[in-house]
Amino acid sequence: MSETKINIGPIHPSTHGVLRLVVTVDGDTIKEVEPHIGFLHRGVEKLAESRMYMQNIVYMEKLDYAAPMAHQELYVSTVEKLLGIEVKERAEYVRVVLLELQRIASHLLWLGTMCNDIGQMFSMFMWTMRDRDMILRLLQEATGQRMFYVNMRLGGVNRDLPAGFEDDTYKVLDSIEHSLGEYKDFLESNPVFMERLKNVGVLSRENAIRLGVTGPVLRGSGIDYDVRRNSSYYKYTKLGFRPAVETGGDSFARYKVRMKEMQESISLVRKALEEMPKGDALGLPIKLIGAVPKEKEAIVKRELPRGEGMMYMVADKQRPYRLAIRAPAFINLAALDHISRGQRLADLFAILGSLDLVMADVDK
Amino acid sequence: MIFMEENIAENEKVMNARKEMDKLVADSLKRYKLKPNALFVKLSDVTKHIAKKPVDWARTNSVWPMQFGLACCAMELMDFGSSRIDAERNGYLLFRATPRQCDAMIVAGWVTKSVIPELKRLYEQMLEPRYVIAYGECATSGGPWWESYNIIKGIDQVLPVDVYVAGCPPRPESLFQALIKLQKKIGGVVAKD
Amino acid sequence: MPKIEYANLDAEIEKLHSEGFTYLTKITAVDYVDHVEVLYFLRDIEKNKEIVVRSDLAPNYLRLKSIMHLYPAADWYERELSEMFGIDFIGRKTKRLLLEKWDGKGNPLRKSFTWGSKYEVQE
Repeated sequence: MSETKINIGPIHPSTHGVLRLVVTVDGDTIKEVEPHIGFLHRGVEKLAESRMYMQNIVYMEKLDYAAPMAHQELYVSTVEKLLGIEVKERAEYVRVVLLELQRIASHLLWLGTMCNDIGQMFSMFMWTMRDRDMILRLLQEATGQRMFYVNMRLGGVNRDLPAGFEDDTYKVLDSIEHSLGEYKDFLESNPVFMERLKNVGVLSRENAIRLGVTGPVLRGSGIDYDVRRNSSYYKYTKLGFRPAVETGGDSFARYKVRMKEMQESISLVRKALEEMPKGDALGLPIKLIGAVPKEKEAIVKRELPRGEGMMYMVADKQRPYRLAIRAPAFINLAALDHISRGQRLADLFAILGSLDLVMADVDK
Repeated sequence: MIFMEENIAENEKVMNARKEMDKLVADSLKRYKLKPNALFVKLSDVTKHIAKKPVDWARTNSVWPMQFGLACCAMELMDFGSSRIDAERNGYLLFRATPRQCDAMIVAGWVTKSVIPELKRLYEQMLEPRYVIAYGECATSGGPWWESYNIIKGIDQVLPVDVYVAGCPPRPESLFQALIKLQKKIGGVVAKD
Repeated sequence: MPKIEYANLDAEIEKLHSEGFTYLTKITAVDYVDHVEVLYFLRDIEKNKEIVVRSDLAPNYLRLKSIMHLYPAADWYERELSEMFGIDFIGRKTKRLLLEKWDGKGNPLRKSFTWGSKYEVQE
């Protein structure tokens, strides 16, 4: 019984960000995995205490750079709850449309990079990045920026949807739905893909609750929990949303959960565009003068593409006194040690790919 | 803390080994003094002068970048290499992760105090002539995290930088323009696009 | 839920764990200068209920009992808190810090930790 330690260093083409893994290996089986993090730590929680409420949006977006709209909306909702401001009705539909488009873009990026890690399927990466580029162009029409759109305001958004937005969206969604059907067909009949994902990284139901994982990792183990249905916000129950749950607990189940979520998001966007009422969706301007917090603290939960995020804020007149952020990727990475014991060394990257990590979320 | 001390001890060992090696080479050169052959030196000057133009043209039009994507700007680097804004049509092939085969290093993302040893080591492993591009505001000057306790304010405190690209994140077309400026700096004729 | 006294904190958490609140969402803390407040966010997934457990600590006696034997998810949260606030968790096997390599002096999220100079130049 001889054990060796292998160092998978911080700069590596396969890890999604800067992550160092020290793997204890006996032959080909993994005995223990120890992640060393902190290479991207910049103290966002401390920086947020020295800025006013609306100056902090810029910091919050860069927490998760694959889906920035979701974190931004979480922060603005926390400030709205603290100051007691209500969101206008048309603005709720506009926010649902933008958030679900962002979720489709994030899952497409996940699909491309995971296929890149598994078998060097570089062509899959090129196709999904092309689809993601079409969605980013739509978001650029609506907000003016490709990646870090500071467009959520208190009570609404900064600009209403422009004139030809709905026709463009329907065209893009039709094309993406057709592409998704193609990807599903040839990925699930590819023997390399199926062998690398089936029965790899199994997480049972009790362990999923004990380890505290969230998002598609939790729903892939058979637990039916989704913030959009359990503590519903905006108009998700009215638009008829159903979460995607799979039993099985292996990487293939997590893959199927995310593919189903993409289909669900496409139909949500179509319904929201049809049912949108006419009216005004603009919120307060960004230079907020004389903010008076009505409550002492606020807790808000949202369903981000990677899991469930939460923010807890304590108010202090013009700026937050303390901002605590719960990032989904942090706790999903903590479960890596338990999931990958007893697996082969080559399966480590298939498991990492199916957990869908973004390292700036892990070291805040 | 323990890891930092190991790293410093290793660095000192490497520096001491290098000094010893330099001393050995200088000693052996003093013992065996070779007179440089005058004809040989003239020939090599002439060939260098003749071959300067084609070699510069070859170096200019095939710059192979090394990816050092740390954070958000890495998303735009991925977009730069994919199908809509194609990086390969102007010679920037093969985003390798190994520094031995690359000419230019594109640093994208904020650099914290923990990453500095890796940054220095990868820069030293690249072969000359080598260039560095600072992509984005965080690599240029610290960016929005200017007041944080854990990042360095721009990579030009650690490495020599050739081209800076501003933006947060800069569009991939800006990286294209920055690479064309780098090509003009290398010398040689840039193939018009 | 009202605030719980520091002496009853462990008993309260074990009671909640046996009642079905088996999912731990987050452990966090806030530094008011004369006391430090610790919050535990617990959840019951089957019945969809949430609860927040709070308690106060004196600023010069920062010790808590680790709840890793009940909730294995508390491992990384406790490591982050011990680094950011200086809270000592009793009963843990490994005391390795999480963000180990930034210069490592002081606890960043306490109010007594001030920024470095703005024009600090890296060596």
